Amino acid sequence: MLPINKITHRLCFMMSKTLYITCCCGCCSALRPRYKRLVDNIFPALPQDGLVKSNMEKLTFYSLSSPEKLDRIGDYLFQKASRDIYRRRHGFVIIAMEAMDQLLLACHSQTLNLFVESFLKMVQKLLESTDPQLQILATQSFVRFANIEEDTPSYHRRYDFFVSKFSAMCHSNHTDKPTRDSIRLAGIRGLQGVIRKTVSDDLVENIWEAQHMDKIVPSLLYNMQGAEKYETVLCLEPETDTREGIEEPPKLAEACLRELVGRASYGHIRSVLRPVLTHFDRHELWLPCDFAVHIFKIIMFSIQAQYSYSVVEALMQHLDASGGGSGTRVRAARATVLSNIVAIAAGDSVGPSVLEIINNLLTNLRASVARDSELSFQKESDERLYQEALINALGEFADHLPDFQKIDIMMFIVSKIPSGRGKPTKADCMLQSILLKSLLKVGTTYKTTELSKAFPAAFLEALLRVSSTSEARTRALLQRILHTLLDRRANAPLLIVPTVNYEQLGLTVEKCSRPDLIFISKHGYAIFSSLYEGLQLESNTAENISAIYTTLSLLAIELASEETVCDMLQLILAIQQSAISNPVLSAAQQCQLHAVAVALAALVPHVLVLPPLGDYVKQIIEARREEAEHMLPPLSDEYDVPPNKLPNKLPYLMIDQMALGECLKASGIEPSRLQTASPYTGGATVGLAHRHSWVEAGATQGRDSLADISAGPVTELDSANSSPGVQRHPAQSESVSLEALRRAASGPSEAERRDAERRKVSLNNTFRTAPFDHLLHITQPKYEIQDKLEEIFNSISEEPLLPVGAGSPAGKTQNQVQPYTKYLTELFLY
Amino acid sequence: MEDYKFLFKVVLVGNAGVGKTCLVRRFTQGLFPPGQGATIGVDFMIKTVEVDGEKVKLQIWDTAGQERFRSITQSYYRSAHALILVYDISCQPTFDCLPDWLREIEEYANNKVLRILVGNKTDREDREIPRHIGDDFAQRNGMYFLETSAKEAENVERLFMEIAVELMEQAKCKELPKYDGSLGPINDKNKAVAVAKVHVLN
Repeated sequence: MLPINKITHRLCFMMSKTLYITCCCGCCSALRPRYKRLVDNIFPALPQDGLVKSNMEKLTFYSLSSPEKLDRIGDYLFQKASRDIYRRRHGFVIIAMEAMDQLLLACHSQTLNLFVESFLKMVQKLLESTDPQLQILATQSFVRFANIEEDTPSYHRRYDFFVSKFSAMCHSNHTDKPTRDSIRLAGIRGLQGVIRKTVSDDLVENIWEAQHMDKIVPSLLYNMQGAEKYETVLCLEPETDTREGIEEPPKLAEACLRELVGRASYGHIRSVLRPVLTHFDRHELWLPCDFAVHIFKIIMFSIQAQYSYSVVEALMQHLDASGGGSGTRVRAARATVLSNIVAIAAGDSVGPSVLEIINNLLTNLRASVARDSELSFQKESDERLYQEALINALGEFADHLPDFQKIDIMMFIVSKIPSGRGKPTKADCMLQSILLKSLLKVGTTYKTTELSKAFPAAFLEALLRVSSTSEARTRALLQRILHTLLDRRANAPLLIVPTVNYEQLGLTVEKCSRPDLIFISKHGYAIFSSLYEGLQLESNTAENISAIYTTLSLLAIELASEETVCDMLQLILAIQQSAISNPVLSAAQQCQLHAVAVALAALVPHVLVLPPLGDYVKQIIEARREEAEHMLPPLSDEYDVPPNKLPNKLPYLMIDQMALGECLKASGIEPSRLQTASPYTGGATVGLAHRHSWVEAGATQGRDSLADISAGPVTELDSANSSPGVQRHPAQSESVSLEALRRAASGPSEAERRDAERRKVSLNNTFRTAPFDHLLHITQPKYEIQDKLEEIFNSISEEPLLPVGAGSPAGKTQNQVQPYTKYLTELFLY
Repeated sequence: MEDYKFLFKVVLVGNAGVGKTCLVRRFTQGLFPPGQGATIGVDFMIKTVEVDGEKVKLQIWDTAGQERFRSITQSYYRSAHALILVYDISCQPTFDCLPDWLREIEEYANNKVLRILVGNKTDREDREIPRHIGDDFAQRNGMYFLETSAKEAENVERLFMEIAVELMEQAKCKELPKYDGSLGPINDKNKAVAVAKVHVLN
């Protein structure tokens, strides 16, 4: 556009110079309309001479001074040009177009409407010709026109032809590459012009209608997909105002697409996105997905931020759409695109839209898992790719959300996990592990500050519920989630495998904060006993046990406090105890548990700086190192242990409860809680009904009431019918006396141990393999012993020496044992 | 002096390689381009013909037959006055696809659109679709039918002329009420003025 000052300057110049002509030419007008003469005069004799400048100035001045003539001037110019086109005198056509351009720019906007009609007719005329040069020329004029801001609406003007024609030009297939490029460039510029002209004016054609978008968008994309490489930048440099600067169709198309998307309001986003998605399907552009990522990033970068969510939404709805030979790989590619753009949207998403996105992703995941489990023979890896891409998208999205929303999302995901009850189908298991993977992905983006915020009660309960699922790998995954959420000081990588040498690790330990203490006093029991249960499962691999070790050690570090030390030690003792007494565990698992117990025992004094305890544990470690390496970390899958070195043959290598109490006392910590009854039930299978209420139970009862011994036996009784192995070894001693019990609590003799082991194995085998009748039969003739035992126990219970829970471990054991022996002795004795 | 009284939009559709572009070239430029490459997207040609002494301008949109351009070509159906559906008489698959094309036309085009079925390449020796089969199909679906050869210039002129005549009759009956909105940038009133002026000037 000409600068204003130039125009005014020219006007003044013309005023002075041509005043006299205007005065004396009135008389000639009778012969031929004056405007026609003026128009005729601007054409030179030979077209190569170009526009006659001085006469053009006259024409401009005339049209300015009598604007009512503008439409006739335009019309006459158009007629002349049409004739010239017909006669293929292109030189004159170009001159006519130039003249019209100048008039257009010189005109005041109020009078423009009259002229524009013929101007556009002229442009159309040129576009209709087959000559590329004229088409390009017409486009340039059109763009000039498009950049004029009109203040009067033009209701009747239509751009249908221009959109159609410019789109066709964008697809030019001219044999000569430079010509083809310039036609395509012209097409893109033309489209850009139409967009500019129509987008801001509600009264003219609605450019967002499908019939236009279906032409414009594919035309732009078609030009962009031709680029050799795709560099996505946040926004183009400002100087690329695109009128002259860009010489490559892809670049210009990109600028145009950005402009289009940037101007789209909420209602219009869809009309842009639909053709984009269709185009990708039709041209099979999802694979490889770099172009798709490129385009969608451009869209995300240029869209008005508050609408970016709708792009994510549209793409998500399209994930499963057919078309474009929609295989799993295409879906995976779409999901990859999604994961690439979802982060850009996350910053601007709020409230329900966030959950909607998450929900959508999860729904897609579930659909994928369902498909996967249906046809698991082939394509499996493709489906996996898809799932992985979706999970990545989830993680990317969550990563950019504020922390409180991450917790919401995690709770939401947990709520979608199928419950571990009953017999889980293969699909359930897959879904479970997929959702846990998602959870892990989100969890890793979360920065824990306070444990109570990271683990709202409902979330914690749901997590712990999953922790007892039957799939070993799923359980390991769950532990990893706990690691990421617990680990605030980046200790987790150091604690992946059990160790006893903590000095070298360089752990970061800080004092436990008050809110955390409150948290653990509320939920500690639930967490600990769930982890304890986790260690008791027959299907555990070394990985599972290491993972639980990591969780426990992180808990020990994060909650380092003198108030929690007793709980921790109690748990360690319980783990050790279970390694001896839980019959479902293999020898390897027993060794692993011993190793874990001693590793944790070594961690506690390291974290809390308790030298006496540290020394004690060190002694045990040294002793084990000499005699029983297999009871120390590192864990291994196979243990080659001579029978006489089996853990239960080495009672003097165990961590002793009394000794622990002494050590604590020496450090000034009250060990009484250590001596209360162990709240951890021994069996691997505890009634599910019981498990459900852990969190509430822990919260309402408080820790101390859990020591109430009456609670223990009752629940154990419930579970006992499904678990023949829940028993305590003292029941096996022949002569029951206080002395014997005490000895038994500190560990049975070697001979007894061997005996017990043999029995245990045979008992296990019997109850696993023998038919029920047979079992009944073989338990029949044992009445005498039972009677005898009953007698003995009766006498014991009369003994006033051991008040319940007063400190002697033997007394406690005895109390727990009683109900079993009473009713089920034959099971244990055989 | 060139101007016109009627403007009609004609869109050619059909499978890739049936000769749509050649038909258009033959009609607009009077030549048969051997080795014509596949059309990309949409091509545009214009031709003015005279019917009953009145000038009729035909805007011819020549679409790509390839599947991948289907979405952009479909967007051109909507404003068409006439749709020419082309198949290759020496290629059975192009004929077999006709029902699909009709479905697409149903979906995207104006339901009053003039539809013409054209069996192209009659110059070929290896005809696979007998004339009457094409004719039957056209009748069943309420279409006009014509067999052409772009190479031999057979029936090409006639094809477009008949379209022009038919559309003009339609337009005269109804004074173009329903196509009002889609006649390019020039609205009716202006065109009438323009035409009137031409008369004065002549």
